[in-house]
Amino acid sequence: MHLEKIDDYRWLIPRTYKAGMLTDALVYASEPLLEAIRRDQSLEQAANVAMLPGIVGRALAMPDIHQGYGFPIGGVAAVDEQDGVVSPGGVGFDINCGVRLLSSNLTLKEVRPKLRDLVHQLFRDVPTGIGQSSRLNISDNDLNRVLEKGPQWALEHDMGSEADLDHTEERGCIAGADPHAVSARAKQRGKPQLATLGSGNHFLEVQYVDEIFHEKAATEHNLSKESIVVLIHTGSRGLGHQVCTDFVAQLDQAMRRYGLHLPDRQLACAPIHSPEGQRYLQAMAAAANFAWTNRQLITHAVRGAFKRIFDETVRLPVIYDVAHNIAKLETHSVNGKKRRVLVHRKGATRAFPEQPVFIPGSMGTASYFLLGQETALRETFGTACHGAGRVLSRSAAKKGVTAKEIQKELESRGIIVQSLTREGLTEEKPEAYKDIEAVVDVVHGAGLASRVARLRPIGVVKG
Amino acid sequence: MFELLEHTSDVGIRATGDTREDALISASQGLVSILADPAPFRPLEERYFKASGPDETAQIINWLNEILFFFDTEALVFVQFEIDIWTAGEITGRARGERFDAGRHEFRTAVKAATYHQFESHPAPDGWEIRVFVDV
Repeated sequence: MHLEKIDDYRWLIPRTYKAGMLTDALVYASEPLLEAIRRDQSLEQAANVAMLPGIVGRALAMPDIHQGYGFPIGGVAAVDEQDGVVSPGGVGFDINCGVRLLSSNLTLKEVRPKLRDLVHQLFRDVPTGIGQSSRLNISDNDLNRVLEKGPQWALEHDMGSEADLDHTEERGCIAGADPHAVSARAKQRGKPQLATLGSGNHFLEVQYVDEIFHEKAATEHNLSKESIVVLIHTGSRGLGHQVCTDFVAQLDQAMRRYGLHLPDRQLACAPIHSPEGQRYLQAMAAAANFAWTNRQLITHAVRGAFKRIFDETVRLPVIYDVAHNIAKLETHSVNGKKRRVLVHRKGATRAFPEQPVFIPGSMGTASYFLLGQETALRETFGTACHGAGRVLSRSAAKKGVTAKEIQKELESRGIIVQSLTREGLTEEKPEAYKDIEAVVDVVHGAGLASRVARLRPIGVVKG
Repeated sequence: MFELLEHTSDVGIRATGDTREDALISASQGLVSILADPAPFRPLEERYFKASGPDETAQIINWLNEILFFFDTEALVFVQFEIDIWTAGEITGRARGERFDAGRHEFRTAVKAATYHQFESHPAPDGWEIRVFVDV
């Protein structure tokens, strides 16, 4: 595929690249990252996204883009609220997979001597939910409240504070969520998994502030050099997966009725204002609220674990919580005109000006805290990337290395890891992902979000 | 028979059998092998599978999603599959397995869903072939 270079960080797939594209696709990447991106089908998928009916502006690909199912991961598409379509594949199976960062009043020096105990306590108190149920045994009514209200439910049960909600995107609740739009199967899958971490690339990390790039912003967000933070990465678990599965099947059928055609069935979509489109958005909002509640309940468990290992004076306030798999109705200025658009962000983080953006690296490597910039509003509907992005397949990652070796290697670097599975270590080893520094350089260099602090892990809990 | 296909972030299953039914059973075993090491699981509990859909693709995907549903809701890992009837509208059958026990069993990778992405199901020289990618 021939890409037109715009500058060191921007590459264009012109709409003339293939029939059916309604707009250009813009890829944010450096030359070396682009080389890695070219190894899979993600650019082809970005071109397919440019075929979504009603797409406004360009289809966008973030520097961590990699091949997904229909939509690439790291893909962004805004569609007109009136004429556009909603695509569950443009949100992904893990609806409102996202990241929450907690700051603390602890320092690296205080935590280091008790680190092993802390990691064990976190592993015990935050279940992975794999082959085991959540310790929370909630009623069907409570589940419906979670789907409708999000973490407000957790507050009602003494597992959070108003300040937590104030520091969560949408205060953890997308309006219009309808528990009745969520199938019985989705609820059955999700109910035993509320307050669980999951596996795969989901994790909980104890980190410290390693370097500060923007002193004022760091102080404003309660970060100082060598202060301890906690990063939580998880989503809506089986509930969200089932909502996506249900609606891909339903919209696959509806597309024929609406005369819509796309090159991949996994891109199934329906007009936003169709009954099917509306139903999906109600269910997606409910699943998103479930995910925010999940991260809130995990936060509660993390606070308990820290208090057990340290003392009651430990404070772990939420810095921010942001979704990276979601579709949201927003107002954006497009060619000087205000438009209501539905922004699909699949493996991409909202990055409005001055909003915290978290870009976790692979296991054992640094994560970044950035703030969204005006350029993102102008170019990417206020979006930045969400992670490092895989470069090795899972089996390639596993080759020639054992879980024990990875654990030992990380321990030699002062990082204690506790994982439920061997695969959780081998498949997610640091080399399986792109270099986080290269990805963050592009986001910062292109002006989508600016670096505030670099965070390094010392404790990792995963499924 | 099945083999796992892997790209950067995809895990796929290429399953073959003498018949379409056999190929689906192989694909089911392939999916289970992504979730856990199937060797120690015994066929102690049985569940009915019902996978309806407007076409063969949707039916096969829904059948495979039954495996994920029972794992999430009851921690069941299946090692035996039987297809009773495959009509134009649905597949009905049974699966037998055992509850996952972290003490005795090895969990591998959580699977979110079977997808339509690059799906194939067609006659092959030696019977039938199904190719399906799952989101992990």
